[in-house]
Amino acid sequence: MRRVSPRSTGVALLWLLLAGFLILGALPNQTASIRLGGLSMLWWYGGLLAPVLGVLVAIRWLADPLPAPPPHE
Amino acid sequence: MTSVSRILAVWLTPVVLLAVPAALCGRAADGLWLGLTVVLVPLIVLGPPATRRPPPAGRDERGSLFPVVTLLFAVGVLLWANIALAGDVAVWLGALRWQGIVVTALAGWLLTAWRPLRRTAPLLLSVALVAAVAPLLQVGWAVGLGPIAAWDRVATQAAFRFPPASPWVTTGRSLATAHGRAPLLFEEVHRLTAPAGGTLRARTLDGTRTAEIEWTLAPGQSVTLRAGDELLPGAALRLRFEADKRVPGAPASGMAWAEDPPRRWLDRIGLLVTFLVGAAALLRAGLTLRLSRDGAGFAASGLLVAFAWAQAWAVYAMLQSPDLFLGGVTLDRLLELPGAALFAEPWRRTLQLFLVVAGLGAFLASSVALRERLAALDPTGGGEIGSDPGLWAALFGGAALASLWPADPWALTLLALGGAGCALGPATLYPPPPGRAGLATTAGVVGLLVFLTFAAAQLRGAGGAILGSAIGYPALVGAPAGALVLWLGRGRAG
Repeated sequence: MRRVSPRSTGVALLWLLLAGFLILGALPNQTASIRLGGLSMLWWYGGLLAPVLGVLVAIRWLADPLPAPPPHE
Repeated sequence: MTSVSRILAVWLTPVVLLAVPAALCGRAADGLWLGLTVVLVPLIVLGPPATRRPPPAGRDERGSLFPVVTLLFAVGVLLWANIALAGDVAVWLGALRWQGIVVTALAGWLLTAWRPLRRTAPLLLSVALVAAVAPLLQVGWAVGLGPIAAWDRVATQAAFRFPPASPWVTTGRSLATAHGRAPLLFEEVHRLTAPAGGTLRARTLDGTRTAEIEWTLAPGQSVTLRAGDELLPGAALRLRFEADKRVPGAPASGMAWAEDPPRRWLDRIGLLVTFLVGAAALLRAGLTLRLSRDGAGFAASGLLVAFAWAQAWAVYAMLQSPDLFLGGVTLDRLLELPGAALFAEPWRRTLQLFLVVAGLGAFLASSVALRERLAALDPTGGGEIGSDPGLWAALFGGAALASLWPADPWALTLLALGGAGCALGPATLYPPPPGRAGLATTAGVVGLLVFLTFAAAQLRGAGGAILGSAIGYPALVGAPAGALVLWLGRGRAG
């Protein structure tokens, strides 16, 4: 079985964040339009939560591992 | 960090930056989807680990030239879109179209042609950021509402009405500048005045019968339209509207603006696919990228800041200048400082200058970064294509010439992203086995041909639900077609 790399995890999480917006919009009874603290749920998610989580995912999972230190001669 | 700046500059062209607030103004949910796509898709594309590519000797000549030529065309169309936007902005701010075009194209060409200025993308991007954020903070401070409170105010408005200080009410503006695609449909009685006179054509509704009427107005003369009447496009006279009347073309209310429209899944998927393959072509094709943790954070934060700016700018613009809905929201209007009564001169002019500098800075950063992007794909390895002043003069000159005729910058950008994406995206995201560069080229040609076929169908108008989405976003069909060729080719090889 292929090992799941941290980058693949990060990419999968980013896809989930995108999918979350579509799922939230598809919820019945206009759930996405419910206001919380002045903003609709859709805006909280699409405008704030998902982009901020995207940044955190990028920092945590998308960076290349640090290069190994050069061997001592 | 410089390479990350270049990624941001290639991706965040002024058209893309302004398309997000424009979409947010049009319909909140569609704008949020666009913004989220703009932020997350580049990260998805840059995410997969760098693959070790076979040495250039393993690539045939066809396979080497195809990406360069495709990307060259894409860069040309992107330049065209942004220079056309500069022309629109110039007209909207009261200058002549050619002036905006010449200044922008000349500055872009000088920057790409003059070797010492070629590494200025990070600086230009920083200038654009500061120049865009300063007016936003000033507007927020002058309005006295934070972005969330401003959003709440917009979303609870009973109707979007002309403010008394709007230029459309005080001095009037030429209808030619309101060149959006939405019809000027009036929802209540509205008296229009032509300060300099002119000819006005309208389709009026009398009971169930419609009639087309043409008025020749003397300077200062007025005409009254009723609910259901519609101004026909083509008139270029200056018109004054009445204060506190509903803006034709605006959403029915703040509530209607904020709610999610009926499901348009395929359109959203079409936009996502266009951006996904477009980002793969622009940001990744033919490159071996290694992002450090700082680099990944910097790129993601830059995208987040751009999206945050777009959201706040859209909300303040709708709150202070609901007249931007007149005739449909266009990108150029979002580069005007909102709220005619918010600032006195010369402060207003200074802030407006900041916005123009921000737009120009973002364009110049994009131009420099696009040149470097193309040079990195040069199969000779010397980056010749990026350092040929004649080629870049032809690109900027051609784009400037084409921009003299108004074109929709957003449609051009989608065309560039979709075309380059269908040609290069599938093979970038799903690379063929080593030594089979010809398969990538075949897949790219098929994807591009399918894309162009559906893009040409746009000229004939939209089709039904599924066909309409495929015609509106041809990458929805072109990219899978290219991927299918790759998959079949891999199967045969196996």
